[in-house]
Amino acid sequence: MYPQFVIEAVYFLVVSIVVVFLVVFYVLTRKGRHVGGPERAVHEEPGGMGKGEKRWLYFLFAVAVVGNLLFLSPALPSIRYTLYEREAVMTVVIEVRDYRFYLPEKPIRIPVNVPVEFVVVSDDLVYGFGVFRKDGTMVFQMQVVPKPYLNRIIWVFDQPGLYDIRSTEYSGPKHPWMFVTDAIEVVGEGE
Amino acid sequence: MNEEERKILSLRFVVVALVFLGLAGIEGLLMRLRIMNLLVDVFDEKHFYSMMTAHPFVGVYGWAYMAVMGAFYFLVPYVLNKDIYSKRAAYASFWLMILGIATIWTTTFLTHYAPLYTLYWPIPLAVDLAGWSPIAIVSFGAGVSLILAGVLVFFFNMFATIFLPPRVLSETIKKRSAVYVAKELILTAFNIDKLIARFRKIPQYTSRAFEYPVFVVAVFRGCVDTTLNAFVIGGVGIILMSVGAYYLLPGAVQNLSLIDPLIYKNVFWWGLDLIADGNVLIFTAGTWYLIVPLMLNSKLYGERVVRTVILADLVVSLFVWNHHMLADTPQPFILQIQGQVFTWGELLTMGLTIFAVLATIWGARPVKYSAPLKFVLASISGYAIGGLAGIIQANYASNRFFHNTQWVIGIHGHIQLLVGLSLTIFAAIYALFPLLTGRMLNERLADIHLLLMTIGGVVMGLAMGMAGTLGMLRRMLYPMGLGIYEPFMNVALLGALMMATGFAVFLINVIRTVGLTTIIKLFLPQR
Repeated sequence: MYPQFVIEAVYFLVVSIVVVFLVVFYVLTRKGRHVGGPERAVHEEPGGMGKGEKRWLYFLFAVAVVGNLLFLSPALPSIRYTLYEREAVMTVVIEVRDYRFYLPEKPIRIPVNVPVEFVVVSDDLVYGFGVFRKDGTMVFQMQVVPKPYLNRIIWVFDQPGLYDIRSTEYSGPKHPWMFVTDAIEVVGEGE
Repeated sequence: MNEEERKILSLRFVVVALVFLGLAGIEGLLMRLRIMNLLVDVFDEKHFYSMMTAHPFVGVYGWAYMAVMGAFYFLVPYVLNKDIYSKRAAYASFWLMILGIATIWTTTFLTHYAPLYTLYWPIPLAVDLAGWSPIAIVSFGAGVSLILAGVLVFFFNMFATIFLPPRVLSETIKKRSAVYVAKELILTAFNIDKLIARFRKIPQYTSRAFEYPVFVVAVFRGCVDTTLNAFVIGGVGIILMSVGAYYLLPGAVQNLSLIDPLIYKNVFWWGLDLIADGNVLIFTAGTWYLIVPLMLNSKLYGERVVRTVILADLVVSLFVWNHHMLADTPQPFILQIQGQVFTWGELLTMGLTIFAVLATIWGARPVKYSAPLKFVLASISGYAIGGLAGIIQANYASNRFFHNTQWVIGIHGHIQLLVGLSLTIFAAIYALFPLLTGRMLNERLADIHLLLMTIGGVVMGLAMGMAGTLGMLRRMLYPMGLGIYEPFMNVALLGALMMATGFAVFLINVIRTVGLTTIIKLFLPQR
């Protein structure tokens, strides 16, 4: 399963809980019995925060810490190749100018399960560089900031096959046509 | 200005804002159809992208800003029991906003100039590559500058209204300078007076912010963000005007490397993201803090904490811009992590804000939900759904898959803006309507409006987001077919139509309550 689908599933689970909570809250607050008006509403501990509010803050803080650690851990390939496995065995340089990708060869042949560094250079405008599977799902992407900047990303393809390249950033009305079909061919071991 | 004049001013802002919301909605629907490869013969790519350029200016500055301005021009003097500082400045902001948005809309419509709101250097000035007309660049830059001038005039008027003593007093004590206002603002907004008191070892010093109601604290702290935003984006408008004017000169040479594109992008996003924090988060929190206790005849839960949370939101807002640049690999990694970590900070500030609002409602059980309260509760759901999506996409690792996809603009952007922010504005409109017009809107029609806007907005946003997870990009046309994204775009269209119907129900409710002639008369000279 692609990482973005896992993230989406977790997101939908959390959002469902939140929405159910709000509906239950709406029903309960309509039917609840009177508990004391403004005094109840402004109840505070001497330090400023009520007990429930403190617990809620601790919970949010814990979620924030766990979330950050999880997204900085090598669990997701996008950060694994940036932070933890930074050695590429192959470099592919792609140039972009006047709304066109200039590839070193077509298709670019890349071995499966090998760290490859893509270096994308723009001569004029801001573009995007995204690699897509044939069914339209995204493998990865990055922005392409024009010269003097070099835009680099390391990736390991774990599935052989053909991949498309598309600009993922708007750069003018010709943007939708910045699409190279079958731009990359990932070949299996021994092929 | 007396109270009647302020009511008319406020209503004028709100009516114009609603017109802009309608216009932004029509644009949204047209673009949605074009994305589905319908209306291909009616408008080409250039026309599509020029519409996409105008859309956020009309939606954000025309609808959200003008509605907020209208509400604050009435509520801030009402809560502080004092007059607006300057009537002339109030109307100057009104006309500057309208003129600026009209200029942008006309320029993009007539010339098909389409740099989009992102204005990434050097795209807006790429005359030869993108085929822009230099006149369009000048005109668009002028439109941007006019809008942001209107925003600055409004915020100066707000700051002066809040911080200056009433005119009668101020003439005697001579405290009516802009420097005085700026000093008071900086000292109060950032609690610097408290720090100074601590440094001077003044015992039991109470911060000046406590002299103001929570709503007003949210207004001036949010205004700090939006003022900084106006300087940055207005500055970009001036750059466009200047360079565009230079291109009109004979023999002018294009130099696209005039400004470093990465530094420009950092400054631009630092400024632009302040709208999200100032207008979308802090103003919303302030409006909830005002409406909910007012409707429940209760006090706000944990007022001291809430004031600190607004300050925390202001501080956090100054350090989150990098979550827009997580896909820029030349960006220093430390800034990427800063953007990620500070964005998680917004989970804490927004979480505590929502807690205070829900605790206030819980404490006032049993609650008879009026329209404004229902809208507030629905807008909280919008912030929960859209905010969580925002935090997920704002991580360095996940951004590789979500950046510039329909996820960002659908689940995060549009749910946050249409269900979160817009329903808060509608809550304020429903709450203010009786005060401003002396009449009540129909509750049943308000319920239909609420359901259609909420369900429609969430359905549209979620469908777009799911297409985004599959890899569908924002700001993209798929001339060769939508492929696997198509079913999601069909559902998104259904959601958009539900929202449009909800808005139409709201308009019917307003017109049948006050009559169309009353609305038209509002814009005639008043006796």
